Amino acid sequence: MKKKVGIIDVGFGNIASVINAIRFLKHDYKVVKQPNELKSLTHLILPGVGSFNKAAKKLKKNGWHPVLKKFANEGKALLGICMGMQLLFEEGTEHGTTEGLGLFKGRCEIFKKNKNFPLPHVGFNLVQHSNTKIWNGIINYSPFYFVHSYRVLPTLEKTKVGITDYGEKFISFIEKKNIFGAQFHPEKSHRAGLVLLKNFVEKIR
Amino acid sequence: MIYKRIIYALLYCAGEFHLSRNFRLQKVGNVEWLKNNFGFGETCNFIDELIIINVTPNPTQSDFKKYFEDIKKLKEKIFVPITLGGGIRKLEHAKKFFANGADKILVNYLAHQESKTCKQIASIYGEQSISVMVDYKKEANGKLNTFINSGKFISKSLKNFISTVKKIKFGELILNSIDKDGTGAGLDLDCLKLIPEKFNKPVLLMGGAGKPEHFIKSLSQKKVSGIITANLFNFLGRGLEEARNYSIDKNIKLVQFKKIDL
Repeated sequence: MKKKVGIIDVGFGNIASVINAIRFLKHDYKVVKQPNELKSLTHLILPGVGSFNKAAKKLKKNGWHPVLKKFANEGKALLGICMGMQLLFEEGTEHGTTEGLGLFKGRCEIFKKNKNFPLPHVGFNLVQHSNTKIWNGIINYSPFYFVHSYRVLPTLEKTKVGITDYGEKFISFIEKKNIFGAQFHPEKSHRAGLVLLKNFVEKIR
Repeated sequence: MIYKRIIYALLYCAGEFHLSRNFRLQKVGNVEWLKNNFGFGETCNFIDELIIINVTPNPTQSDFKKYFEDIKKLKEKIFVPITLGGGIRKLEHAKKFFANGADKILVNYLAHQESKTCKQIASIYGEQSISVMVDYKKEANGKLNTFINSGKFISKSLKNFISTVKKIKFGELILNSIDKDGTGAGLDLDCLKLIPEKFNKPVLLMGGAGKPEHFIKSLSQKKVSGIITANLFNFLGRGLEEARNYSIDKNIKLVQFKKIDL
């Protein structure tokens, strides 16, 4: 089956760099603005920066929840980037509790206060990865670019994770079968990020 | 961990990239030239961030349009966070910059005004998305003064600037030495004396990086989070990669970017 990557644009965050990366990798892609536009897509990327609360509400209101769950349950590849990763979890706690997609169990909370580690966490930091297919060809502890103040707290289930240290060790990457979340921005992380995106499209289904 | 940063800056004026020495510009080539020469793409594999400053005097709508188009072309093969700036005076300008792919914007003039504009920008895009750049110069009496309009007019003392900049919303402070600009003679560290111990934002130095030793000398300062070099010619080909790796060997905390085949 011919691969085609959907890049979701619901109006939170800059999707230009993600498009740029997929185009650079010479893969067919489509910018998806409505939940009824997923036909013919084999892969889906959910980028996002900004407020979890606002984004999660918008996703729900615009009818994305059942559609994304169906896409994932059909075994098609889904990747959330930055806040897009956080949205895959059950809930976020920015300005009260908001419901997320619930594809991963757990929640998303602000980092614990630590005066030596200012928020947001911005810049390149290392990811200790799990050597799964999507990490093929990427040296362990490679640097990836982060911009975030919240991090996910998964509850125990069958997931493989990547770990990053910023005052505390946090989950910077997560995968469960065909569903992936990256807290960092692969599209802004040099070659290593491009390889990750390439593996996502080429090695996952 | 928190790592220090090496950032590359490009100066853009009226459709061409420029070198600058003490704020006097010299044309080097357009975007196609840059993409195909001096191993620019290769150099970008070893930087933490890229800054592209539009220094076109009194930019018109069409100047901005051309600037954004050229950035789009440049970005096709560059996958690093990008800071854009030059001529940002109000929220609408900032929105345009973000819409055209800026991860952060650079403000200079606005930071001299204690402007509410930065607050508006921060409320939408976050404080971390605003880099304040201040141009300064050492006077004959040794005092450091800040300048606006590409070094044309004196604003206030650097000391005064640093104590008032706290009132605006921003993510990091870039101290750009006009005296050292383009000289490759080493970065000015005197300005650091004016940074209070409790200053809680990253401070970056710009102007004067010419060889790897300059990276070590400045990046080993506790108050320095990163340095910015705008000299295309001082770090030709593998120059920046080597300077970076040399710094890592000398225990400067930088992340190491590895060559990977796609």
